[in-house]
Amino acid sequence: MTARILALASALSVCAAAQQLQSSPFNGDKESIGAGRAAYRLRCSACHGIHAGGGRGPALNRGKFEVGDTDLDIYRVIERGVPGTEMPAYGPRSTEENIWRIVSYLRSFEPSPEEDVLGDAQAGERIFWGKGGCGACHRVDRKGGEFGPDLTRIGRSRSVEHLRESLLDPEEDLPPGYFVVSAVHHDGRTTTGIGVAFDDFSAQLRDSTGKLHSILREEVRSLEREYTSLMPSGYRESLTANEQLDLLAYMKGLRGGGAK
Amino acid sequence: MSKLCVIAGALLAFVATLEGQVDQGVLARSQEDNESWLMYGRNYSAWRYSTLDEINTENVAGLVPAWIFQSGVGGKFQTTPLVHDGVMYVTGPSNHAWALDLKTGRELWHYSEPVPDDLPLCCGKPNRGFAILGERLYKVNMQATLVAIDATTGSVIWEVESADYRIGYSNTVAPLIVKDMVVIGIAGAEFGTRDFIDAYDAETGERRWRFWTVPGPGEPGNETWGGDSWKRGGASTWITGSYDPELDLIYWGTGNPGPDLDGSPRPGDNLYSDSMVALDADTGQLRWYFQFTPHDVHDWDSVADPVLIDMEVAGESRKALVQANRNGHLYALDRTSGEFLFARAYTEVNWTDGISPDGRPILIPGHEPTDEGTLTCPGMGGGHNWHATSYSPLTDLYYFNSGDGCQIYHGAPQEFVEGEYYLGSAMENVSGEPREGSIIAVDPATGDTRWKFPLVSPPSSGMLSTGGGLLFAGTMEGYFMALDARTGKPLWRLQTGGPVRAPAITYRFQGRQHVATAAGGSMMVFRLGP
Repeated sequence: MTARILALASALSVCAAAQQLQSSPFNGDKESIGAGRAAYRLRCSACHGIHAGGGRGPALNRGKFEVGDTDLDIYRVIERGVPGTEMPAYGPRSTEENIWRIVSYLRSFEPSPEEDVLGDAQAGERIFWGKGGCGACHRVDRKGGEFGPDLTRIGRSRSVEHLRESLLDPEEDLPPGYFVVSAVHHDGRTTTGIGVAFDDFSAQLRDSTGKLHSILREEVRSLEREYTSLMPSGYRESLTANEQLDLLAYMKGLRGGGAK
Repeated sequence: MSKLCVIAGALLAFVATLEGQVDQGVLARSQEDNESWLMYGRNYSAWRYSTLDEINTENVAGLVPAWIFQSGVGGKFQTTPLVHDGVMYVTGPSNHAWALDLKTGRELWHYSEPVPDDLPLCCGKPNRGFAILGERLYKVNMQATLVAIDATTGSVIWEVESADYRIGYSNTVAPLIVKDMVVIGIAGAEFGTRDFIDAYDAETGERRWRFWTVPGPGEPGNETWGGDSWKRGGASTWITGSYDPELDLIYWGTGNPGPDLDGSPRPGDNLYSDSMVALDADTGQLRWYFQFTPHDVHDWDSVADPVLIDMEVAGESRKALVQANRNGHLYALDRTSGEFLFARAYTEVNWTDGISPDGRPILIPGHEPTDEGTLTCPGMGGGHNWHATSYSPLTDLYYFNSGDGCQIYHGAPQEFVEGEYYLGSAMENVSGEPREGSIIAVDPATGDTRWKFPLVSPPSSGMLSTGGGLLFAGTMEGYFMALDARTGKPLWRLQTGGPVRAPAITYRFQGRQHVATAAGGSMMVFRLGP
């Protein structure tokens, strides 16, 4: 098996020297796929899930990819990242061979396309800015509030399942770096907001009006960081099932450069 | 000029030259030398304690910067600087090093060596410091070489390769001078290397001895590895050991077996991974070993400083060795024999029901990493990982940091590919449970925790304790701080603007106590103002 790997690697280096490969030389090779899985778990699983089923990053085990479906498309995404999303470029931190091994690992799953979003995106847009009140806290294309995460490109980086979870059970998976700070002052007043920074001696936070606060631990009675969401949790009840689908369809279409 | 005067002059010059030199005797008395910091752990017992008390609990609030050296180099600064004869010697990430004027912080020379592009690395490109002997400095480079450098000029005197970096070896360790030898460890277990501890002739760079931390066929311990798994057994040695000149033993901690998280290819205890080994200083022969985590599947390296303390344990005087282990327990061993004295959990532990009288963990089933994942505490980084620890004879407390919390361990079979990661799967954080940490003070004779200072992030810096009753440490968010060593109460802090990943040192210069630490990409030196 090692000889086979060496032959593949050798072919890879020769081919790579001549031109950019169009497909992974490791597809179907069990040993390389295993190595690809190991590399995937190290570099990718935190966002895309330990079994590539998606998380805060899209599912990668369906045979269908957000930015193109050829091996070379996948390779380039891993190598260069996706500008405007949380997907970083791994090219500087990995070898060409290792990226192709990850591609082959992702290719080893049986295709199972993501569920269709059956809702009406235009109706969802009205709910977003109207009944749902989402725009009071979230920004899309320079419009809306800035208390919650910017959703301008959210459709590129989140699966439908993850969007549904975020809408109905916002506590389940918080965005990276998201936390809430609560300070109780000596006179009993409370200041609460989205954390900007938090350390052993101070916290900086933005309240719901957008105002920034900097608080030293010794200035207040207590200063706590909580990994919780300030997003309302009642959308399961306040929106009908169809309205939820409409809203999901709108958000899935948010890919930057204007809603589709 | 008379012949006598010429001879006297020559003698005077010779003595003057010798006066500034660091020899084995000077190193053995390093604890008494308050003008210098001469080795990684300050003394051979790795105490990181200085009797200096000009800066103390009463006046530490008046600490101000004396100078700041901006290196201009990115990456993790984890170095312990050396101070000798008016000069500070600092190593940095990516094979950089500097000599700095102790009076002003101005650069006297700069050494650098490129890091090969094809060097496989698990954990960045840090370096943890120089060793000094005579007029030479010794450091390792990332590509698994050991370099001897002229302390006056920064010129390379010799450089030797200890292992082939192309197959996964690398190096970050601060060397330890023992007699006329430079002793180093090695890293690479995450790539399936077979690791070792080496001793080199300080004059020539010739290797004197090598101790393989994974025994080969026919050697005792090889039977604890199934099949040929010993070839990829890891057991790295990436943190500096300690030395007992009286017993003439070198103590060195070893790291995880490979692959890290899948134990199936390596049935057995996997000696001498996750162990403390005691080696004859002259030959490198194993005198004793103690394995903290047999057949580790959680990446719980045992490389942390072996701290040597003579103390009474359970009513008996002991030459002890203490280590806060990554598996969540503090251990005390008898350093003459390796006898297990006691172990105490210092953070949340859910994988063992305690440590049996023979020192072996009493395992709770169900904590082997699986494809679906198993929740185990502590997480992969520990517990206490590698960061420098400190023992203060003033407070009789042992100080270390701890990463607190759990992680989900995934394990799966993985074919070995030379030069590629060989982990056997990966870790996952528990959703909604951030990894936090603490600085802990324990009674080394009992393991009783005296105080804890909570940290909002996993710990990043090492410890320094002083005769002024202070404990200096830093945080990931950039605070460099002084705590009351007896209570853990913060007495002084400064936001440095970069993570404090290094342990602090202290020394007296021009009659005044100084404290120095790396933070971000800088070396910062403090003293009482004005």
